[in-house]
Amino acid sequence: MSWAAELTEVLGRENVITDPARLRTYECDGLTGYRVVPAMVVLPRSAAEVAAAVGVCARHGVPFVARGAGTGLSGGALPVADGIVISLQRLRRIVEVDPVNLRAVVEPGVTNLDISKAAAPYGLYYAPDPSSQQVCTIGGNVAENSGGAHCLKYGFTVNHVLAAEVVLADGTVTTLGGDSPQLPGYDLLGAFIGSEGTLGIVTQVTVRLLAKPAAVRTMVADFATVAGAGDAVTGIVAAGIVPAAIEMLDNLAIQAVAASTQSVYTLDTVAALVVELDGPPDDVAEQFEQVQEICRAHGCTKVLVAEDAEQRALIWTGRKAAFAAVGRISPDYFVQDGVVPRGRLAEVLGRIAAMADEAGVRVANVFHAGDGNLHPLVLYSEAAGEHDRAERLSTEIAELCVELGGSLSGEHGIGADKACSMPRMFGEDDLATMLRLRSAFDPGGLCNPGKVFPTPRLCGERPGRYRPHPLEEAGVIERL
Amino acid sequence: MSTVTTYRPTTLRALRDALADGAGGRLVIAGTGTAADWGGAPEYDGVLDTTGMSGLISYNPTDMTVAVQAGMPLATLQETLAEHGQWVALDPARAAAGATVGGLIATGDAGPVRHTFGTLRDCVIGVTVVLADATVARSGGHVIKNVAGYDLAKLFHGSLGTLGVLAEVILRVHPRAAATATLAVRCDAATAFDLGARLIHGSLEPVAVEWCDGTLLARFDGTPGGVEDRLRRARELAGSDATDTADAAADAWAVVGALVRGADGDTVVRIGTAPDRLPALAALVDRAAAEHAVDAAMTSSPFAGAHTVRLRGGAAAAHAAVVTALRTAHPATTVCRWTDGLRAELPAWGEPPPAVAVLRAVKHAFDPDDRLGSGRFAPWF
Repeated sequence: MSWAAELTEVLGRENVITDPARLRTYECDGLTGYRVVPAMVVLPRSAAEVAAAVGVCARHGVPFVARGAGTGLSGGALPVADGIVISLQRLRRIVEVDPVNLRAVVEPGVTNLDISKAAAPYGLYYAPDPSSQQVCTIGGNVAENSGGAHCLKYGFTVNHVLAAEVVLADGTVTTLGGDSPQLPGYDLLGAFIGSEGTLGIVTQVTVRLLAKPAAVRTMVADFATVAGAGDAVTGIVAAGIVPAAIEMLDNLAIQAVAASTQSVYTLDTVAALVVELDGPPDDVAEQFEQVQEICRAHGCTKVLVAEDAEQRALIWTGRKAAFAAVGRISPDYFVQDGVVPRGRLAEVLGRIAAMADEAGVRVANVFHAGDGNLHPLVLYSEAAGEHDRAERLSTEIAELCVELGGSLSGEHGIGADKACSMPRMFGEDDLATMLRLRSAFDPGGLCNPGKVFPTPRLCGERPGRYRPHPLEEAGVIERL
Repeated sequence: MSTVTTYRPTTLRALRDALADGAGGRLVIAGTGTAADWGGAPEYDGVLDTTGMSGLISYNPTDMTVAVQAGMPLATLQETLAEHGQWVALDPARAAAGATVGGLIATGDAGPVRHTFGTLRDCVIGVTVVLADATVARSGGHVIKNVAGYDLAKLFHGSLGTLGVLAEVILRVHPRAAATATLAVRCDAATAFDLGARLIHGSLEPVAVEWCDGTLLARFDGTPGGVEDRLRRARELAGSDATDTADAAADAWAVVGALVRGADGDTVVRIGTAPDRLPALAALVDRAAAEHAVDAAMTSSPFAGAHTVRLRGGAAAAHAAVVTALRTAHPATTVCRWTDGLRAELPAWGEPPPAVAVLRAVKHAFDPDDRLGSGRFAPWF
């Protein structure tokens, strides 16, 4: 029997898509510039059905790509032409909320925000909050090790997942992690989280829940220069304060937000910082005063303190909608996700501005300033033939971050998008060692192939030239 | 082979060369030896001593990251960071005995602040490792937020020297709190769990909640005003049994450390469970210890699901019977210190975890000839 017939038999005709028009729904994720129509899409209803589908793929050597809500921004769920997409949208049960043990057990298709909603009656919530949290799924969060605005204080998905039931590439089901984070043996769960779907498919996740902080204070501080805002961030951190979030928006981003939603941001400010503190009321009150003083000391021109939950929501709606809002001021855009050491924020923003001028393309900046995670939005018009130079600029920005001692990606993942840039950040032995891990989980390379790691087919025969890490150049570290 | 070769490299290059030297045969990786006993007893022809790799590589307080050679003792690193009001948010008992950063990753060890900060897996942002075949590989980097490539640091967390040698480690650091205070309450395990839960659900945000030898310790870090306020509210929740003098607190925390470290002749085991298992585990420890005439003490970070049980006195066979009882109820049990003769009575590990086949495959991919720490995870692999 052909693999297609076998999958149809195992899952039932109604849970298999082969109609070319319907397959096109799955041709891309949030990175819409890359599109591949898969040979088939399957919609399993249980972990057992996921395992059965993967088992068929394993027997026939068919590559498979797991997909949640398809909100990923790096092409991590980009299909393979001769392979299948396994959609996890029907595994959306909240299995259990356990307030005593401060955890919840959920299926991978449950959205990030729905976990917090289910936990809310107990005064608990799930901390990682990617901007797409209303629609993105926990399965995708596990694959990408998603962060969010509040990960400066609370960490990433990997810090909040206790256990995962996963289907391995041979179709067997196992559990990584367990009841406690203190387990003997290699931290396979930690290695699995953030592997971008290349080590297996998660079919159930146990997440940690936190008690909601007693107090939350949020402010927007305007600055006349980007450097001033960057220095304020450094000052806040140097004072020993760990805000729940510090976000920066530049003027172009603020204009975009104002064009799309009811905006609380000052339209003509050069830069704005959103600073949020949470925790016990007295601690928060004390430090909130301190943050305002630090902002003023760094040339802040105006401070807006959220008076109530509604105003705080407006601040966040604007921030979280910024990507989408950019659509109001530009027909097309690329989003980058590079990270630089926090101390080099002002420098990198200056260089991005210069590179944008040179390329004749506008770049809006809205990003997680507290951890140096940039999100430059490279604006262009496909119709005006600007695609290629915008894409080139976008790649150059990511690689600039590596040059400055940072990373290609803070939270969006490498996926198909940045795989060819990986040799800029890692040497051959680094990548070969990572591939040993991959081979331990998936010797046949069927699980989401073509992601994370550069391949000659994807990147041409010659990978990008390796550039030494700045610390290597300074002789501080050595690469043998 | 009758002689044991010892390598004590001081640079990454020398470390690589040591691994490239086939004369070393099977190697055991040793730091300051504070966890030499964990798990199985490895067989080896050579010792790779990491204590010569103890240098600070780079520290940028503004970025709140620090890079060190993995043989640096955590306590030494904390001294450097303290000069800038920072610390690695980790307080394992072994730090006082000289435990190294690399050794703490390899053991996945932690102390009471794991309640908030987890273990080193949650603080490591980059590593350089050298594999059994002398391959040098890096993952992560110098920024706290980074999803590029696989995270090898996680894989090495808990590896007990069986995958490769941790050579360099980059850590995220945290600011030291301006004020700290501890509430101590004499109570049984069930009361401790209940009170701990009320502190958490009451959003008092204790940085550590530890139940040690019949005392619940709740530590609060923050601003001076904030800590004072929370301590007051915690005391109200606890009722009349609470004490919170600084001296008493320091003594109580010292008891936690001493219990976890143990002493010659003790058996010490670490157990991972779901938080609400604390009362049942405490009862099981009491029952098994009484039945086999062993003196048992325990300390728990209940909400992090981590417990340490120390057995003292009695014969090796009695220790074996107690450990077996604990393992039967909680397979995620590691023996960290073995009383004399215990190894002959007991396999190194209990029931393997569900993903043991993957553990084996990873070991094989990284160290196909089983050169490093051979037998450490026996009988699992």
